[in-house]
Amino acid sequence: MQNKNGRRAVIVGGMRTPFVKAFSDFTKLDTIALGVAAVAGLLKKTGLRHRDVESIVWGGVILPPTQPNIAREIALDLRLDPGCEGMTVTRACASGLQAITVAAAEIERGNVDVVIAGGSDSTSNATIALPPKVVHALAPLALGKPSPADYLGVLSQLTPISEILPRQPKIAERTTGEVMGESAERMAKRNEITREAQDEFAVRSHHRAAAAIASGRFDDEIVPVQAPDGKWVHADGLVRADTSVEKLAKLRPAFAKDGTLTAGNSSALTDGAAAVLIMSEEKARALGLKPLATLSSWSYVGVDPADQLLMGPALAMPKALDRAGLKLADIDLVDMHEAFAAQVLSVLKMLGSSAFARARLGRDQAVGEIDPARLNVYGGSLALGHPFGATGARMVTTMANELARTGKRTALLGICAAGGLGAGAVLQRVE
Amino acid sequence: MSDFLVELGKNPRARSLVQSLGLPIPLPQALRRDRGPWRERPLADARVAIGAAEGAQLTAVLAEVLGAAGANSYLALPASLASAFKAPGETFGRPSRPLEALAEKDRADALVFDATGVKDTTGLRALYDFFHPLVTRLGRSGRVVVLTRTSEGASPEAAAAQSALEGFVRSAAKEIGRVGATANLVIVSKGAETRLAPVLRFVLSSRSAFVSGQPITVTARARAIEEPPTVRAFEKKIALVTGAARGIGEATARALAQEGAHVVCLDRPADDGPTSQLARSIDGAALGADMGDADAPAKIADFLRSLGGVDVVVHNAGITRDKTLARMKPEVWDQVLDINLGAVIRTTAAIEPVLRDNARIVCLSSIAGIAGNMGQTNYAASKAGIVGFVRAKAEELAGRGITVNAVAPGFIETRMTAAIPVAIREVARRLSALGQGGQPEDVAQAIVFLASPGAHGITGRTLRVCGGAFVGA
Repeated sequence: MQNKNGRRAVIVGGMRTPFVKAFSDFTKLDTIALGVAAVAGLLKKTGLRHRDVESIVWGGVILPPTQPNIAREIALDLRLDPGCEGMTVTRACASGLQAITVAAAEIERGNVDVVIAGGSDSTSNATIALPPKVVHALAPLALGKPSPADYLGVLSQLTPISEILPRQPKIAERTTGEVMGESAERMAKRNEITREAQDEFAVRSHHRAAAAIASGRFDDEIVPVQAPDGKWVHADGLVRADTSVEKLAKLRPAFAKDGTLTAGNSSALTDGAAAVLIMSEEKARALGLKPLATLSSWSYVGVDPADQLLMGPALAMPKALDRAGLKLADIDLVDMHEAFAAQVLSVLKMLGSSAFARARLGRDQAVGEIDPARLNVYGGSLALGHPFGATGARMVTTMANELARTGKRTALLGICAAGGLGAGAVLQRVE
Repeated sequence: MSDFLVELGKNPRARSLVQSLGLPIPLPQALRRDRGPWRERPLADARVAIGAAEGAQLTAVLAEVLGAAGANSYLALPASLASAFKAPGETFGRPSRPLEALAEKDRADALVFDATGVKDTTGLRALYDFFHPLVTRLGRSGRVVVLTRTSEGASPEAAAAQSALEGFVRSAAKEIGRVGATANLVIVSKGAETRLAPVLRFVLSSRSAFVSGQPITVTARARAIEEPPTVRAFEKKIALVTGAARGIGEATARALAQEGAHVVCLDRPADDGPTSQLARSIDGAALGADMGDADAPAKIADFLRSLGGVDVVVHNAGITRDKTLARMKPEVWDQVLDINLGAVIRTTAAIEPVLRDNARIVCLSSIAGIAGNMGQTNYAASKAGIVGFVRAKAEELAGRGITVNAVAPGFIETRMTAAIPVAIREVARRLSALGQGGQPEDVAQAIVFLASPGAHGITGRTLRVCGGAFVGA
């Protein structure tokens, strides 16, 4: 889809690090280092000159408190041209897609021609923050010249001890206090998604991802990364080719005593990064690079986090379809972020519900059923893992490559995110 | 004003001690209230048991309202009626379940019975069959709601059965009041089905904490509003509250402002201090006027005209000058009648030209005016007069979509009731089915509900906010 001024942003290529379980091989690599690895891999693959990169837009969820603009840090660490500016965006698990759509919008507006967009997260390097009470109490010591009385004053404020201990970080909704798994657990119950259905979905994700890895499908999407201890990591670490419904059925519920969500049908805490090269179509052709796909549309929505936290894609995906002027039937491939099997299945159920369409989308017809054969053809976050900021860029890379590889025309993306956010986007192959 | 017994009852140890010793002390249940802004899903996660008599006509509306409001429905319905719950259950992720699925340990937050199919005395048995096993399973501050039709054109038998429901609900209210629960009857006339949803959202939510034991009639009399908002219902609306300096008036002004209204706070010039303070804190306007002054109505109308009109008028200003009839001086009679009734009529006439279409007028009546009260012949006359005024005025303005209603507070903890001698006050509090007095906020919530766009089905009526204290038929 062309912009009013005739410009169109195209995806030229994508690259990511292997995704590995948090506190494993990448523990000593922070989110900037992971981003550097992905962007370096992308530059190498596309053969782009450093000075051609005008901007980096990067998505992240757990940002380093003292250097939150990781985009700029990546550019500087890679010794890109000092003129390559950088911005970091955050929209929870949709941050990676957010970075890409910001880049596309900037290009289509005519501000820039070449942008690297993507995202990364290192759950292993989440900062454990001191409670505000301690920070406020310590302020007199940090500022000016403290007297002994100041030290005593600080000590007197630091009781009881339970209030000053650092809190274990957890991904809880600020407004509801609910951990995301608890919200997804409630969604499973409310949408009547069974444990069996979730486990089956998770197994399919693993088997498809494993098949993709075995067939070499991910080989030109993944750059091997060397950890500081010298070990090379070549492949995703969470995929289990040998898992089965029987094996998953043995796992205990993770979020509620009589719940249906387990470690097996929920995505794991993951370290990783993914980067996508986006250009104006003109520039890509001038540089002799083959455009793979273009973003026909995108949409971001919000739903009440206290209701069904991860239902956003059920609104965002139809909206993106509308904006692209397409129907679900026109879509060849669907790629959905798998935060939890229960969440994907809940969204699929609502997309197939005409009652939902009437009440929430203001239309008589359901958006439609999605054929499992077209959905997450190479698995998803359940199997591959979910470094929050990287997932959107991983999905765009895999789908852009798939469109170019197979000659299929369209792909629909859907991502749920904390805060009750949802994202949808339509990718179209570029001839 | 704090109620010692309610405070004591909040302590579980004291509660069990009083009960195990069998002390003759009533321990009223502290009521669940919702003081924040209106919510999209006021019944989030509430467990609602639903029953119906054969031929029930409102189960589809119920299904939609409960799903959208976030409730989980437990059905004691034949399959033909239960099917209405399927689509809303799916849409809102609130699949309905059979009543048996309500776990033994779980309490119901509300019991709703659609009695629109009841045609005769024997049909009433379904009511008993539904409530008899469930009434002990109703949770604290729970809700009982019975739905029926207006008796226009009904056979004498059907009219008797419908009328019987009122007695049932009033008595049920007395029985369940000790757990802070309320029971109300919602009477829906033909053609007013689409106006039922906002009423149910109010009576089933904790905003109706002190409304119990009474019928609420929903009709298609006033012009309808398309899809009234469920939250922020007063955005871009201008409201006038008289007697806003304190008590019920202040609570109403605050509640309206909380929903987005620009509130003109009116009180006597002598109360300029608290009135201005209130207006500042809710970003409204203050207006000083004495309702007894002959030029007050014109002054108010001018002020509202300068704002471009008014959407909500709450006639709350009122006075008491209690004396038994034999001792009452004529000027005291005149003063009370003039301010409580005369001024309301004069002011309404003066502001009629600046009332916007679909405006809402809410007057303050009183249980004293409905049930009568010793030493209050003047006050009761003025407050009963309000009942007649709203009934007739509603007819006049219905074509413009304007509704006119009254609320009749019972014993409310205000400066006025704090002045009552302690022994009488204590008795008055325990007279209500809920065993306690109401809060000014409870009345404010009822006023805000009647003032909301969604209350387009209610006009010409008087809503009691008395905790089920009213005695009589």
